[in-house]
Amino acid sequence: MSDARFIVIGGGVVGAAISYGLARLGHPVTMIDGADDAFRASRANFGLVWVQSKGLGKPDYAAWSRRSAALYEDFRAELEDESGVDCAYHRPGGVTLALSDDELEEQVAILGQIRGEAPAGEFEFEVVERAQLDNMLPGLGPEVVGATYSAHDGETNSLFLLHALHGAFQRRGGAYVQGHHVTGIEAAAGGGYAVSTADGTVHTGDRVVVAAGLGNQELAARVGLEVPVRPVQGQVIVTERADPLLSMPTLNVKQTREGTFMLGASQAEVDYDITTDAAVLKRIAARNLRAFPFLSDLRVVRSWAGLRVMTPDGFPIYDQSPSHPGIFIATGHSGVTTAAAHAYVLADYFSKGEIGAELAGLSSARFHVQA
Amino acid sequence: MSAAVDLAIVGAGPAGMGAALEAARHGLRPVVLDEHGAPGGQIYRNIEGVTRDRPGDLAVLGADYGAGAALVAAFRAADIDYRPGSAVFEVGSGGLGVLSDGVARRLEAREIILATGAMERPVPQPGWTLPGVLSAGAAQTLLKASNLVPAGRVVVAGSGPLLFLLAWQLAEAGVDIAAILRTSPRGNLWRALPHALGLVGNPDVAKGLGWIRALKRRGIPFLEGVTALAAEGDDRVERVRYRRAGGETVLPADTLLLHEGVVPNPQLARASGAAHDFDAARGHLAARHDDWLQTSLDGVALAGDGLRIHGAKAAPALGRWAALGCLLRLGRLEAATAERGRAEARAEVARAARPQAFLHELYRVPDEPMTPRDDDTVVCRCEALTAGEIRRALALDVPGPNQLKAFLRAGMGPCQSRMCAPTVARMFAARDGRGVTEGDHFRLRPPVKPITVRELAEMQDLAAD
Repeated sequence: MSDARFIVIGGGVVGAAISYGLARLGHPVTMIDGADDAFRASRANFGLVWVQSKGLGKPDYAAWSRRSAALYEDFRAELEDESGVDCAYHRPGGVTLALSDDELEEQVAILGQIRGEAPAGEFEFEVVERAQLDNMLPGLGPEVVGATYSAHDGETNSLFLLHALHGAFQRRGGAYVQGHHVTGIEAAAGGGYAVSTADGTVHTGDRVVVAAGLGNQELAARVGLEVPVRPVQGQVIVTERADPLLSMPTLNVKQTREGTFMLGASQAEVDYDITTDAAVLKRIAARNLRAFPFLSDLRVVRSWAGLRVMTPDGFPIYDQSPSHPGIFIATGHSGVTTAAAHAYVLADYFSKGEIGAELAGLSSARFHVQA
Repeated sequence: MSAAVDLAIVGAGPAGMGAALEAARHGLRPVVLDEHGAPGGQIYRNIEGVTRDRPGDLAVLGADYGAGAALVAAFRAADIDYRPGSAVFEVGSGGLGVLSDGVARRLEAREIILATGAMERPVPQPGWTLPGVLSAGAAQTLLKASNLVPAGRVVVAGSGPLLFLLAWQLAEAGVDIAAILRTSPRGNLWRALPHALGLVGNPDVAKGLGWIRALKRRGIPFLEGVTALAAEGDDRVERVRYRRAGGETVLPADTLLLHEGVVPNPQLARASGAAHDFDAARGHLAARHDDWLQTSLDGVALAGDGLRIHGAKAAPALGRWAALGCLLRLGRLEAATAERGRAEARAEVARAARPQAFLHELYRVPDEPMTPRDDDTVVCRCEALTAGEIRRALALDVPGPNQLKAFLRAGMGPCQSRMCAPTVARMFAARDGRGVTEGDHFRLRPPVKPITVRELAEMQDLAAD
């Protein structure tokens, strides 16, 4: 029923992609977003649309990432048509550099296992030796021994992606409200659900999508779903603009269309802390200088820390509340990579009222403690 | 890791020097970090060089500038660990990142005083990015530091006392000033008058009036009530267009100097995470502080014009005031002694800053140039974003400036939003039909001074992680 009214809680890249997907199926949608200073993983993102290394031991997730990457070029073009914003997605493939033989071996073993877990022919990667790598990426440091390459990989400007999604969603007639902190979800008298916010506003709809990032745990618990998420901090460095050098992204260094280099990425369990740490930034700068010594004299324009939305096994959670049918949850840390699948596939599942079997392995049931 | 110092002061302008001298007077040897090669700050820029190499120019630069020489001499003579050429690129409770001679270091400090001074209020005008358009402050710096003056026909536009000082300095240096265009609305004078009581005979006000008289004596046209100012030209400024008394005028010009007053330079204090509020009366962000000028961060204090515009004469006393708080917290002073010193400093600040309220009302910047009506006016210079582009994004109901930054890259460039933040804040307030708040301003990300990837990678004296 495409006339079902949806309330989507969350205006980050996950909530906005689902909202856009629902709106393009004809649903009336209200997207409720938080305040400007909310913890927003979407605004701290590195902007990779990344497949290699995703879904080790979880083939459903690996397949879901590939599916999204395959949809991405159409997604980009459609969003540009509808919003006027080009999110700068391109898919030249991507590489993970190794600074030692051990690193390379480990990386190859992981990708080999992912390939083995995938249906034959669906995931391919190459091990690139140093000599060959020099033809793909200029200016590599002497310590780089080789890399893994996957043609599935690409990159986008995740900030422009968010802009494009918001623009396209509103263009499709979606209603957007911001600065709201959701405090309750309840069954409404006469059917459907009532979503209330801290300032006393109540939004009612037939169905609800909970896509509030780190806020999901608390909201999901209200509707009988266990969604254990915690913040994992990542810090990123951005340099001044330079002439185009890198034609494809690497896992930790990429060059944006504007010419800036982005250097990542750290992981730290520091609770809700988004202050940068000089020691971490130093380590990020040092590691990536070993890979690309030419970065040496570029000026750092900005650094920041953001919080990833991490589940215990690192994989996303897609589920429907057993006690409150029609309330769905979507959470996870790779919202940029999965955005196309969220808009085109997940929104369709939510529209039909049932999540497809391809995502069965990503339900929250996997965290239930057996009594 | 190196041991922590007791007191680090950022900035060797009048406030930083005042703070350092007070610390030294009580037996504490402070570290003073300043990005320039010599003490003096912007106001007394190159004062030692001018005094030594071209003393004749002291007359051009004025008596106030010369007065800085005594302060600099005392600073040089005191037992202070002065480190010129040291740019502070990040600061937090407990320490700061310092870059000098291409080496980045972490300096741990129990107490920090930020005395980073003022900056000119950025006011986007149509054509303000054209070559040949520069801020009056930049022109003054060139004059002080390098003895350079603009050539050709110079138009000076804006408001504020520094505008007249600069015009006077340039005229004395032989520059051809075609006109002085005053943008402050006439109504300002009436709002300012109540603050003028007690200023009769005030030497600073008399001096300001003196500059204006001297400029008028030279026959330089003073045009009041100018609006809709715009710089025009193909590759550089060729004309200045403005409206006045209902009519539009175009003046040929080779250089346009713009100035709309000064505001605290917020960069380092904002990046430190210290709490700020928007001061609606003054039209800028101001750090929250206690009675010892300590910010919301323990052990981080502010002094001088970086706190609020009190002027150069009040700055040394503000520096002393902040230093007394540091000495007290460090256990180097008895409370009674510190409080006595504070009372003296407070009285001196009040005396020196007396003309400020009057000047502020007289030169209050009208909202019009701060929220450009013309869609083509560039607001974010680094990313070349126009007012129209920003308004289109605002129409998507973006919740605040940080989301706007994400959508448009506004404020992401090398200036770290210094130039566009005040304008963007006003555009949000205008959209929502309310006053400007702290939340309308971009969050600031370190580093606030340029540092290269290598300098960061080789940063020294970091705590082991």
